[in-house]
Amino acid sequence: MNRRSISTIALFLVVTGLSIPQTATTYLTPEIRRVGDKLACKCGSCNNTVATCQMLECHYTSPARTKIATQLKEGKSDQAIIDGFVKEVGLAALAAPPAEGFNLLGYVMPFAAILLGLAAILVYWKRFKQPAAAVQVEGAAPSPPPTAADEKYRKQIEAELAEMD
Amino acid sequence: MENIGALALLLAFCFAVYAIIASVAGKLKSKPFLVTSAERAVYSVFFLTTLASGLLLYALIAGDYRLSYVAQNSNKAMPLAYKFAAWWGGQSGSLLLWAWLLSLYSTIITFQNRHKFRDMMPYTVAILMVVQCFFLLLVAFVISPFEVLVQGRGIVDVGDGQGLNPLLQYWTMVIHPPILYLGYVGFAVPFAFAMASLITRRRDDDWIQTTRRWSLVTWFFQGAGIILGAGWAYAVLGWGGYWGWDPVENASLLPWLTSTAFLHSVLMQEKKGMMKIWNMVLVASTFWLCIFGTTLTRTGLVSSVHAFAQSSIGGYFFTFLAIGIAATIYVILDRLDYLKTESQLESVLSRESSFMFNNLILVASCFSVLWGTLFPVISEAITGEKISVDAPFFNKVNIPIGLFLLFLTGIGPLIAWRRSSLDSLKRAFLWPTVASVLLVGVLMGTGIRHVYALMSFGLCLFVTMTIGSEFLKGAFAIRSRTGQNVVAAMVELTHRNTRRYGGYIVHMAIVIMFIGFTGKAFDKDTTVNVAEGQAFQLGGYDMKVREVKNGENDNYAWSHAKVDIMRDGKVLKTLEPERRNYKASRQPTSEVSIWRRLNEDVYLNFAGVEGDRAVIQAYIFPLVSWIWIGFWVLFMGTIVCLIPPKRRDVNATPTSRKSTVVRQPVEEAQLTQ
Repeated sequence: MNRRSISTIALFLVVTGLSIPQTATTYLTPEIRRVGDKLACKCGSCNNTVATCQMLECHYTSPARTKIATQLKEGKSDQAIIDGFVKEVGLAALAAPPAEGFNLLGYVMPFAAILLGLAAILVYWKRFKQPAAAVQVEGAAPSPPPTAADEKYRKQIEAELAEMD
Repeated sequence: MENIGALALLLAFCFAVYAIIASVAGKLKSKPFLVTSAERAVYSVFFLTTLASGLLLYALIAGDYRLSYVAQNSNKAMPLAYKFAAWWGGQSGSLLLWAWLLSLYSTIITFQNRHKFRDMMPYTVAILMVVQCFFLLLVAFVISPFEVLVQGRGIVDVGDGQGLNPLLQYWTMVIHPPILYLGYVGFAVPFAFAMASLITRRRDDDWIQTTRRWSLVTWFFQGAGIILGAGWAYAVLGWGGYWGWDPVENASLLPWLTSTAFLHSVLMQEKKGMMKIWNMVLVASTFWLCIFGTTLTRTGLVSSVHAFAQSSIGGYFFTFLAIGIAATIYVILDRLDYLKTESQLESVLSRESSFMFNNLILVASCFSVLWGTLFPVISEAITGEKISVDAPFFNKVNIPIGLFLLFLTGIGPLIAWRRSSLDSLKRAFLWPTVASVLLVGVLMGTGIRHVYALMSFGLCLFVTMTIGSEFLKGAFAIRSRTGQNVVAAMVELTHRNTRRYGGYIVHMAIVIMFIGFTGKAFDKDTTVNVAEGQAFQLGGYDMKVREVKNGENDNYAWSHAKVDIMRDGKVLKTLEPERRNYKASRQPTSEVSIWRRLNEDVYLNFAGVEGDRAVIQAYIFPLVSWIWIGFWVLFMGTIVCLIPPKRRDVNATPTSRKSTVVRQPVEEAQLTQ
């Protein structure tokens, strides 16, 4: 094979190689997404995570994703990578504060508020509950057990009350 | 022109101050002419703010670039609609919009009640004018929209402006802020009536009767504003997020949640004379949360994507909030004797209890959003360390609360007033529960393992069935008497009690929206770097870039791609995303292209150009269209609620709890109560 043929084949291979449709480049792998979901994007105004920030050249997210990808390749665990961000940026690096110390209050308060509200409803209910209609008078004969007719009327009243609404 | 505008605002401020003094003095000194004079001052405030707004609009449309506001928010190349939208695109203009809308509302209220509530109206006018004074103070003295550009001693005309923020140059942005403001500002009216009722020591519910429709319309506008904002974010920001738990988004949600609680609990006061203090607290909270929301948007207390609206007027807002909230608390505490509950609870299993739980969850939801929004500030103040509270936090806390609320939406309407029996509850909930469990089983069978998504779909079906059964039960009762077909009977049923069945339609709208929110759990996306003729795959589709073109017009330069969405080699749709670079502001934006369908949206964003290759961000958003459909159902439900019912109990007094249903035959009661 002469030199000219080799050059022609080489050129053909290069052109063919370039002509093959390129496989799509995914910028966000599931691994990066997994770690990035726990980290806040600190670009200044967006409320997204490193995984969900969609600004293409975000000055925070783009290098953060590269860093996550590199450290994952190095074999670092998710937690070790996240700890590294926290060491560098502070707790603000996390998308949600850790549930410890004062920040635990952040998670507890909404549910504590619900419990407090439930207690308030209970108090309200006790205070404004209608007293029992029939009070057993001391010394009086006990009420007879409900008859079939009583039961029938009770059911009818309940049905009518339900239908009224 | 700028002098006339500034003078109009100054005079409006003076008239508002006069209206406060004259109405209160007229009431206290029993001088009706002063009260009438104060009411005329309200009309004058409206006339003057309209004049100022008109002048600002004229300056924006005509391109008077001597005005700082016009130079910052408009330019020659902008289409007319966006020049109009520039009115609220900047700080002082949006505050002027607040003031103008409030003056419009005040005028309507004053005119409507010119012969009614003569004891309450002076205070109602005074309270509305206090709020009016605050906003006029800002636009007349602090950040006037009529400031001119000055160099040395002369006024400068810069020839052309920077233009409206390109992100705001989108059709929903032309209507989103004013509609949201119609909500924000509108809550001032029920608040003013409520406070006036307390100040005049009234024991009746006239303020509720008077403002019921007002509250409903305002509530709708607030919700519509939120949804339009979500629609804007979805279509403009380029990543398909319709809700990002941004502080300013949260701020608009807070008063909507408390007002939703109010719309429910107010029924307790109307029908049973209960929860009067709570209703006062809710209506006041709603109004002050509106002011708080405006404060967040305008002052940048917490960092937000809505940074385009921030400035240094925080001090004024915080002072107004502090004084206003303190005064409100004082008035409520001082008048507790006039807010005594008139009846008692009969059973835990009753509509009354369900309303209490509904209110608890709505207010807890409001609190959790407020807490999450402010927690970074609180935490930093206490621990000295900055933290981030982003979407994961809000989702963790609010999704369970939201699902519980959805559950209550299904349960509440089926529980009777006064009391329900376990038997009747079993009858009402058996089939919806069985169907929901079956649906969850089927979905799990198809491989869905997302717990919240399963719960949400199950609950959506549960609520749909309970609402459906209510409609059918009533419609069959009518059909059995009139012989109408079921659809006609349903229309008849709804017409007989528009408030109740309109409310059910609104509940259905919430269900539809929840279906849309749940789709978020199944989003797919990819970002690719492709040249013309190349293809990539996502969610079962082949997406082929057919053409990439560049060009420019007066307003912006653009890059445009045509992407064929294909399945099995067949082109189903061609999407055309575009990237724009606005010349005046030198800011890039994305004009995403969306193929909207009921099952999923295919969403393409032209994110940029690298050499001769286009960077395309492609997304599949399942069920997202249901959110927008839910909005239209919400609109329909609200309209139904506002239609006067066809039949009324002729013996009914204005407060419906006085006309007890016990007097009516059971069937009639079911249809009309």
